[in-house]
Amino acid sequence: MWQAGLLKAGLFFALIGPGIITSNVDNDAGGITTYSLAGAHYGLSLIWILIPVTVALVIIQEICARMGVVSGKGLSDLIRERFGAKITFYLMIILLLANLGNTLCEFAGIAASMEIFGVSKYVSVPAGAFFVWWLVVKGNYKSVEKAFLLACLFYLSYIISGFLVNPKWSSIAVASITPSLSFDSGMLTMAIGIIGTTIAPWMQFYLQSSIVDKGLTAESYKYARMDVVFGSITVNVVAFFIIMLCAVTLFQNGLKIETAKDAALALAPLAGSYASLLFAFGLLNASLFAASILPLSTAYTVCEAFGWESSLDRKFIEAPQFYGLYSLMIILGAGIILLPDVPLIKIMFYSQVINGILLPFILIFMLLLINDKRIMGDYVNGRLMNMVSWTTVIILIGLSVAMVISAFF
Amino acid sequence: MAENRELQVFLFLSEILGRNIVGATGETLGRVYDLTAEFVEPYPIVTGIILSSAQKKSPLFLPWNDVLDMDLSISVSVESIAELSPLHLKEGELLLKDALLDKQIVDTYGAKIRRVNDLQFLKARQRLHLVHVDVGFRGLIRRVGLIKLLDVILQGLFDYKLTNNFISWKFTQPLNSPDLLQLNIAQSRLSQIHPADLADILEELDIKQRAAVFQALDVETAAEALEETDPKVQVSLIKDLNSEKASDIIEEMSLSEAADLLADLPKAKAEGILNEMEKDIADDVKELLSHPEREAGGMMTTSYLSFSPSTTVKEALEKFRLEAADVDLVYYVYVINEDERLLGVISLRDLILATEDQKLEDIMDDRVISVKLDDKDDTIAEQFAKYAVTAIPVVDEDEKMQGTIIFKNLLEIVAPELGK
Repeated sequence: MWQAGLLKAGLFFALIGPGIITSNVDNDAGGITTYSLAGAHYGLSLIWILIPVTVALVIIQEICARMGVVSGKGLSDLIRERFGAKITFYLMIILLLANLGNTLCEFAGIAASMEIFGVSKYVSVPAGAFFVWWLVVKGNYKSVEKAFLLACLFYLSYIISGFLVNPKWSSIAVASITPSLSFDSGMLTMAIGIIGTTIAPWMQFYLQSSIVDKGLTAESYKYARMDVVFGSITVNVVAFFIIMLCAVTLFQNGLKIETAKDAALALAPLAGSYASLLFAFGLLNASLFAASILPLSTAYTVCEAFGWESSLDRKFIEAPQFYGLYSLMIILGAGIILLPDVPLIKIMFYSQVINGILLPFILIFMLLLINDKRIMGDYVNGRLMNMVSWTTVIILIGLSVAMVISAFF
Repeated sequence: MAENRELQVFLFLSEILGRNIVGATGETLGRVYDLTAEFVEPYPIVTGIILSSAQKKSPLFLPWNDVLDMDLSISVSVESIAELSPLHLKEGELLLKDALLDKQIVDTYGAKIRRVNDLQFLKARQRLHLVHVDVGFRGLIRRVGLIKLLDVILQGLFDYKLTNNFISWKFTQPLNSPDLLQLNIAQSRLSQIHPADLADILEELDIKQRAAVFQALDVETAAEALEETDPKVQVSLIKDLNSEKASDIIEEMSLSEAADLLADLPKAKAEGILNEMEKDIADDVKELLSHPEREAGGMMTTSYLSFSPSTTVKEALEKFRLEAADVDLVYYVYVINEDERLLGVISLRDLILATEDQKLEDIMDDRVISVKLDDKDDTIAEQFAKYAVTAIPVVDEDEKMQGTIIFKNLLEIVAPELGK
């Protein structure tokens, strides 16, 4: 009995990884910025939103995991085979742009966090870019995954900072289960921002291909599901602590901030320098972590859709498109940050808008694919699951459309 | 206009899909949804059109014989869709768009996995023959509908024209449909790929395609490819097979590779396969399995040639010709006495150069280097480096010969740690 339990636990740990890594990459520089701003500007009043976001994240990612396990194919692969060349082509162009914007944000996060430690961005960004390149080109899947799982642990720094400020837990508990939303456009935008940064288009591609890469089969599906659920919960726990931390310190003292770096700096006098440094370290870890994954994931996704050679085992000349895309993402991502007077906040904003345009399409494609008997066989959505997932997707689409429209008016 | 049409002998599938189908009365019957083709050698022939019409929901089949002319629209001799029957694919017949377009294929000439951007037909005497598979960027952009724009831009800026990248149908192996894999077994296009390349392809494929492709290979090709494949992939491939098929393939592998593979399999599966294998091979493999992988006993093969000291060169060469095809190590033959003690070694070169009536004990090198069954990989590597041989015999504590380690097998154990 006891041994069987141990065996099961062992199996779980052997098969986890993709879900937890994907979810945590999701708490990237953009995510941390959004959460900090939400806490600093609106206090605890938006914290309840993390509960529905967790549910939505679990539903969406479970679909991806199931598709990966059953079909053995990546999402862009399935989209190309089912929806043809034309749709895939335009989708990939938008994805490329969106991910380029995201990568830029990650390098901005590296620059910002290292500036708190007193390192100039002209040193930290090239060093970060080199680290990212080195990790992926020199490492193999196993070692990279271990490095990433380790990076996930560093998110604990936010939780520790959260405890360092000794918040009043009772009022936080009440706030997190009391939905409140005023129709103030700033607050609405912030709410949509939290959802948008947590459920991003690129993650669906990344999660599904890392599950395929791991070679999980239908028999081990329940472990993949546990992995996804566990990952989705941890990501929101981290988000919870960031919002809470900023709410009980910055918001209560009426400090307005613009970026995650402001948040880290403003924390020092209020929560002590440890909390501030931990916050900055968390930002650095998150940015580096996401900057390692985004360019690679993009290159894989695009090459898979177009049938180009895509493997780190190949030489540059054998897989020019793959290495070309990968290098382009890093060079542009890191390079633009180093330009003087680059309008960072604007770039971040538009990258979110592009993500918002892309998400509805991806979600609809995913639901069509998961209900395709020829791909999924007996693993298609059941009626209940369809109702739940369509409802979730329609709400998410509504929010994305609202965000895109509000961006232009 | 008529001459123009005559000139258009090559057609793309993407140009045909969606075209209007006009009946004998001039009425539009529907649009081309897909084409069926019979997969004959060397080039598949289009046998009919799958028609989607506004009036009927289920797809209808229109035999290619009824097609009169192909222009901007396709004219057919049928008068109304009531004359058409629903689709029934015959043996050896497949839907082209469904099975091939946007799907993956193996380019057996370049030994790569490619994605099908388009299919190109040759039009001859009103028949369409599938001749080329378009895997190029030009094909992709044409599908997207931006090819004219791209041509203008490239021409204007760089005076460059993006070229087509076609693969002849003869050098392709579709992957998507199990039927297509079955169809092509007879031609065994995949077996023309070098086993090491084939192993790379297997590793790159997703789990399902991998299993399907592997099971479509003939036993010999499968064994060769399996030897070159990553151990993890090996295990997943063999797990999917029944013990009988698995044992057929493993029997074709070299003994040491087979032992390594069986050691990686779950116990029950490995035993099932061993039971199905020919007894003498199974016994040899079991012997190897009893030693740890990183020790001499685990790396060695028991498939080599040995002779008694009094054997003549002539006799030895005769036996060599007879058996060498199935032996793992052919570069050396060993000389052992009746107690199986290792007395000496003769390289293949020395054996061939010797005169026929010489005895082996006269030409053998008795300063033979050997390792013990439980010697570790680093010790063995040192011996290889020091003596520059391609194989080292393994003896037990009584100096009895147990097997021989081929350099390649040591390399497989040590290579993952090189460069670290």
